[in-house]
Amino acid sequence: MRPLRALLLLVALLASSPNRAEILIVTSNRSGPIELTRDQAEKLYLGRSSTFSDGTPASLVDLPNGQVRDEFYLKLTGKNPAQIQAYWSRLVFTGRALPPKEARSLAEARQWLTDTPNLIGYLDRNEPTTGMRILLRLP
Amino acid sequence: MRSIAAHLLHLGLVAGLLLTNAHASDVPSPFSLSGFGTVGAVRTDKDNRMFRSSTEQVSGAGTDFDPSVDSVLGVQASLILSNALDLTVQSVVRKGVADSYSPQLTWGFLRFQAMPEIVVRAGRMRTPFFMYSDSLNLNYATPWVRPPVEVYSLNPFADLNGVDALYRTPIGATDLELHVYGGQSSLDIRNGGGKLQAVRGVKAALSVSSLTLQAGYARSNLSIHWGDPMFTSLNNHLIASGNDAIARDLSGDDSKGTFLSAGFQYDSDRLLMIGEYARRTVDRYTVSAAGWYFTAGYRFNSLTPYMTVARQTQTAPVTTKQSGIAPIDSLLSLFNAMRNKSQNSMAIGARWDVTRNVAVKTQLERIHPGPGGLGIFVNDNFRDVVDPGGPVHVFSISADFVF
Repeated sequence: MRPLRALLLLVALLASSPNRAEILIVTSNRSGPIELTRDQAEKLYLGRSSTFSDGTPASLVDLPNGQVRDEFYLKLTGKNPAQIQAYWSRLVFTGRALPPKEARSLAEARQWLTDTPNLIGYLDRNEPTTGMRILLRLP
Repeated sequence: MRSIAAHLLHLGLVAGLLLTNAHASDVPSPFSLSGFGTVGAVRTDKDNRMFRSSTEQVSGAGTDFDPSVDSVLGVQASLILSNALDLTVQSVVRKGVADSYSPQLTWGFLRFQAMPEIVVRAGRMRTPFFMYSDSLNLNYATPWVRPPVEVYSLNPFADLNGVDALYRTPIGATDLELHVYGGQSSLDIRNGGGKLQAVRGVKAALSVSSLTLQAGYARSNLSIHWGDPMFTSLNNHLIASGNDAIARDLSGDDSKGTFLSAGFQYDSDRLLMIGEYARRTVDRYTVSAAGWYFTAGYRFNSLTPYMTVARQTQTAPVTTKQSGIAPIDSLLSLFNAMRNKSQNSMAIGARWDVTRNVAVKTQLERIHPGPGGLGIFVNDNFRDVVDPGGPVHVFSISADFVF
């Protein structure tokens, strides 16, 4: 009985700890043999690169504005929402890079990430990833 | 060109509506539509010193709040044609040359990803002479109400019709971007015009974590034909008095210019610093001048107070020649002074990031025009141009947005 109570207590503690959930970078199972390092992921989401390490053109998905998107950019690039918005608007409106495709909903993002090869995106760890491959974990 | 811009924009909007009205799609749309803008108002404390945000504007703000100086709206459409090819069109409406509000085609180019590290673009672009030259209308991306005029008035030629290539590669932890470009640029001025031909330039940027260093150099052939009544009168007097050599210094098709700039941006999570030095050197037709600014800011969550110091100094007048005829020489010195944009300024301001897409800014500047000219200000009274007097205070408020 005692180990079970200890376990329940631990679960309760973990569940109530501040929500800084792990974020997953994923791609469709239909993608080629893509590999992604943290450094490459940062370059892609900062518009400094537009291909995977093997030269395959990469497309990016953004979730709709919200907590998961903000945490993703903060974890990967160290930039807060206003900084990343200013940074990307400069790239886009000077014709340097096309912005990540913004999905209108989480469901649309999941559909794209399941169906479209060589497209990468990010999801909260608790999201199901059926039909997708996890490329990277951002703890 | 303006009607082409309007047509392209119209086409883009229609295509965008058609595509975005489609049902939730299984794949991302190849079309995207976005935009940016500023709603701003500015006033000074002197009615005989009208403040402008660029030398192309003919009128400016006096002691009443004026929304025309800084307000701007831009719309951009992009279409992905293939993995390696895309098309981008951007149009901007703001008070520009001769106070006209006609939509301008600011970008309109095909972009080709030639290799993973190399992008080639062809079409209408922006002259990238200085650090922020390619994003002068995009106030949302900077801490200021507007880019410092002490540097950015050094180049009135904003459009570049031509070709460029961007090469980006990592060197260890550093990111290098090399930018080479070539083309031509035209500028309408009241009753006249200017032209840069055979523009060729290079720009290099090094980025390492929060720091970016940037340097650029460009050369060009330069034509200027002034059309204002004062020039016409002076030119007629010079030719009638046999001073053709002086007239050939004031306008024509046989000048060369160089544009040089070096700057840095430091943008950590709290501290923000930006500095730039820029220089325009021309053989004739207009003045040679140098400018610089330094900005420091500090982020308190969504509020970023900052201060800026800036200066523009004339390094050579349009012409140093004299006719020996007193009335003509006084007209000549007036002609020189009207093109002298020397000034120095100090500013304090703050940017407040209200929401994710909107920044509200306010800025108070103390600008000393001169010596030898009115700086960025205009005034109908010619006598003021050679006697700019004391400092002018300029107060601005604005809201910048992107969508």
